[in-house]
Amino acid sequence: MNVRINYRTFYLILLSLLLMVSIVAFSTFVLIPKGKEYRTLRLENKKEQTVLDTTREHYDVTEEKLKKLEDKNKETIKAYRTVFDPEKFMRLNRVQLQDLFLTEVHLADQNKSFRVYEVNATTKITSPEVFYEFLEKVNHSGWIVGVHFPVHFERDKDLIKLSFTMKVHHMSEVKEEK
Amino acid sequence: MKYSFIVPRTKRIIGGDMRLALFFFGVNIAMMSAAYLFLEYKTNIFQEKHASYATNMKHLEGSTRTLEEKIVMVETEIKKQEQISTDNTVMAESIRNLFDLAPDSITLTRAELEEKSLILYGISPNKDTYNFMLEAPLKSIFHRTYTSFYPIENGWYRFVSTNYLDDENSTEVAE
Repeated sequence: MNVRINYRTFYLILLSLLLMVSIVAFSTFVLIPKGKEYRTLRLENKKEQTVLDTTREHYDVTEEKLKKLEDKNKETIKAYRTVFDPEKFMRLNRVQLQDLFLTEVHLADQNKSFRVYEVNATTKITSPEVFYEFLEKVNHSGWIVGVHFPVHFERDKDLIKLSFTMKVHHMSEVKEEK
Repeated sequence: MKYSFIVPRTKRIIGGDMRLALFFFGVNIAMMSAAYLFLEYKTNIFQEKHASYATNMKHLEGSTRTLEEKIVMVETEIKKQEQISTDNTVMAESIRNLFDLAPDSITLTRAELEEKSLILYGISPNKDTYNFMLEAPLKSIFHRTYTSFYPIENGWYRFVSTNYLDDENSTEVAE
């Protein structure tokens, strides 16, 4: 059988072959590696996104916890950051504690976060009950005040001379740089 | 003048078969190019995300650490405040209990409360009243108790009672 191929058919076959080879080469050397890279990156990205979501969730939970804690204890937090004002303290307690006198506030202790100021107080009270009430009231003052020994009571006619030490705890605003 | 019985066909540069082949390959190339462009675009996006991932993680972890430090700090503050508040209340109760120890017949003129000691100055009608009604409870609280008596004009006694705690638990003073 004699097969005659004219030049048109020959060019068509040649072009088709060329294009076919080009397509196969493009797929093998460009498209498939790109697809593999895409798949790898997609998986990696998915994993990273999961980790990121978990971390973000942890951040949100921590933020919520801090917010709740701060809301619940805002008075305490505020008290720690309020600078002790001896004049105001004397003014607030003048009714209970007569002739209240505070010596100069000085720094007694300091660590990374807290500063403790020591204040010596002398006053006159009508009965020890007044001092007990003061000890309860001082817990709700605008500062974090702890009353410490020594506490001295001395009768002075109808009154009792009282001297005691107070420690005012203040939050240091200065933080160490990391 | 006509030389042929048929109408000549219009000659085309690209024949029907060639057009079909070109169309087929054209569509193929277009689809592959589109797939490549899509992959390239997505790969770029993923690479950008990967690059920002480290920064985002670092930022988030840093922020979370800061928040956790704040929580620890606030919790420490609260705990400390509660301790101070409790200490104040305990001190009030301790002093109340101490003064409650003194019977009506004994007058206290001075009291010096230290962390581990208590010095009481007062007046007692006689030594026995002091010994039975004040010294006995003081002895049950303190480890060491010393008392000095000084007679006064009306026959009563002025006394100085010095009491010490040996252990380090200062909160037990006068409880």
